Amino acid sequence: MKHTLSRRALCISTAILSLAVTVPGLSGLAFAADGTIKLGIVAPMSGPNARYGAFSMRGAELAVKEINDAGGVDGQKIELYSADSQGTPVEGVSATRRLIDEDEVDYVIGDVSSSVTLAMQPVAEDAEVLLLNAASSNPKITYAAGVGGFKWTYRNYPTDENRAFVVAKYAAEQRGFTKFAVLSVDSDYGRSAIEFTKKYLPEFKGEILTEDYYKEGEVDFRSVLAKIRDSGAQAILMYGLADTTPIVARQMVELGLAGKVTLVGNGEFNTEKTIKSAPTALEGAVEAAAWLPAWDSPESKAFVEKFTTTYDEAPNNHAYVHWDTVRLLAQAIHEAGGNDREKVREALSKIKYKSPVGEVTFDDHNQARLPMILLQIENGKPAIKGAYTAEIQYPAQ
Amino acid sequence: MFSTVIEQIVNGIVTGSVYAIVAVGMTMIFGVLRAINFAHGEYYMLGTFGAWFAVDYLGLSYEASIIVGVLSTIIVAYVVGRLVMQRMVGAPAEAGVLATLGIALVLQNTVILVFGGGYKFFSGGYIEPLSVLGFSLAAQRILILVVCLLVFIGLELMVTYSRMGKSMRAVSQNVECCEVVGIDVPKVVLHTFILGAALAALSGVLTAPVNVSVYGGMGELITFKTLPIIIMGGLGNVRGTFFAAMILGIAESLVATYVGLQFRDTVGFATLILMLMWRPYGLFSTQARF
Repeated sequence: MKHTLSRRALCISTAILSLAVTVPGLSGLAFAADGTIKLGIVAPMSGPNARYGAFSMRGAELAVKEINDAGGVDGQKIELYSADSQGTPVEGVSATRRLIDEDEVDYVIGDVSSSVTLAMQPVAEDAEVLLLNAASSNPKITYAAGVGGFKWTYRNYPTDENRAFVVAKYAAEQRGFTKFAVLSVDSDYGRSAIEFTKKYLPEFKGEILTEDYYKEGEVDFRSVLAKIRDSGAQAILMYGLADTTPIVARQMVELGLAGKVTLVGNGEFNTEKTIKSAPTALEGAVEAAAWLPAWDSPESKAFVEKFTTTYDEAPNNHAYVHWDTVRLLAQAIHEAGGNDREKVREALSKIKYKSPVGEVTFDDHNQARLPMILLQIENGKPAIKGAYTAEIQYPAQ
Repeated sequence: MFSTVIEQIVNGIVTGSVYAIVAVGMTMIFGVLRAINFAHGEYYMLGTFGAWFAVDYLGLSYEASIIVGVLSTIIVAYVVGRLVMQRMVGAPAEAGVLATLGIALVLQNTVILVFGGGYKFFSGGYIEPLSVLGFSLAAQRILILVVCLLVFIGLELMVTYSRMGKSMRAVSQNVECCEVVGIDVPKVVLHTFILGAALAALSGVLTAPVNVSVYGGMGELITFKTLPIIIMGGLGNVRGTFFAAMILGIAESLVATYVGLQFRDTVGFATLILMLMWRPYGLFSTQARF
């Protein structure tokens, strides 16, 4: 009798456990201010992407502080609200709803992860709240926006298609790689970057020898790295997470791959902390990013300096794009002549915003036209190899 | 081709060793308490955090951080054992499930509150590769393997010869009889629990250099991996756990290589379901333990 009972309990508890895998996050830390422009940030504050979330929040906070200190947008102060998406679509949707229903925000910036942004789009559309995406790169986000359907979604970030093209071209033409192995994150971001790489690789006579995707939180890459070593690949196409790059790089050292196979793609190969984790594995790594601390423009340099003095840490790409997007929004509100969402949306469509990487305008899919910056790690330091813009080809409706 | 298979099996054995050290604690706790400890992975996490704190904040050496990680976990385990686990003696299995799930959430979120939700990088350990029989293997992994063997030999000896080990076996066989003959059951439970948590922490400290990342939610994955192992090994069976951990480690390694990395975690879950369906008493026992 007791035996069957505890066996049943084990089955039930296994089921409960699978439901209870996520940790309730820390959220809703509102910024106290007496302004009237309510801006919500949805970002991963906990979980495998938490590093991105922290940078995003700091970037946005810095921009808000700058704007408010200068008197706000036409006298109106910006009030910042944050909500934790944990990097998962489910949490991202409830975080967005919380911002819209409880905090009554007019604008939402989010999320870092493409899978989350895709899930947030319909929520923002229903509530007619402007969703400005600052950091996710899956092309589907803007395929479905503007003339594609969602009127309230905008994106101030280059897409994976740009990135895949730029990286494949550079790796093949400048570095002479033809044999690639894929090791990307198993998400809308990682998968789509590879999908587009495959579209362009034949142009450069490149081929993919092995293909693997890892789950967020994966820590053991030895099996797959051994397979890559035996496949004879010259480079690993990695569109991954910043927090995973050091793990992969260290295990590359362990398997003797460091210096023989090069990392190519995106995943914060260029930050000091990452390079320090395994310098030999990261030497020569090629990365395409929307922005870099080393980017040579006065506004950009000023941002880096201000961020570093405020937070005692150099900014990364995510800090920059959130800082930039808050400023873009502030200009749109200024041009709309007030806080009317409908007018702000129209202003955004027509905007000519001067960002540190160039002038930003939006196309009919609400996608910003932006360059990708290409860099290579040389002697343990990132070196900029140029900025490339690629036209986005939308699939026929 | 053949050497790749061998290398993957070696990888699997190293992964299996990590699982084995964690799982053996969980299976022993089950033995004396008849309760699955869903917070077991959290002790692994606490051990890793303790070591990370020692290396990164206190600037201690890796060897010292092993002691800090394990000792701090023992302190937490003592408090939890006194407050919660000792009350579980004779309680229905559901109480154990809910209590340990609750402990898991409290421990995880406390760590996130104190240290933040982001990943930390563990910088200690011996990650330089050594060439062993033509394979390159980090020195740290060899250490893991050696420690795993020592732990299991030690546990075998303890369970067979020491008074503590004998009482643990007695409690796992019949609680009522133990009470009749005067064995202090709550004390045995507390000791087993602390031993189990300390082993989980040890495993966490040993893997930190090769897994590099340290974060609040890292214990969950380990709890999930441990469940199929202790069921495969036969609940409460120390030797069975060792072989089950090796089987799972090797299977995962081969699946990651020949099927795809993204399918790695499915191995454990598929095993769990199949075991519960066909051999809920484990591969190495013939008699149901519960």
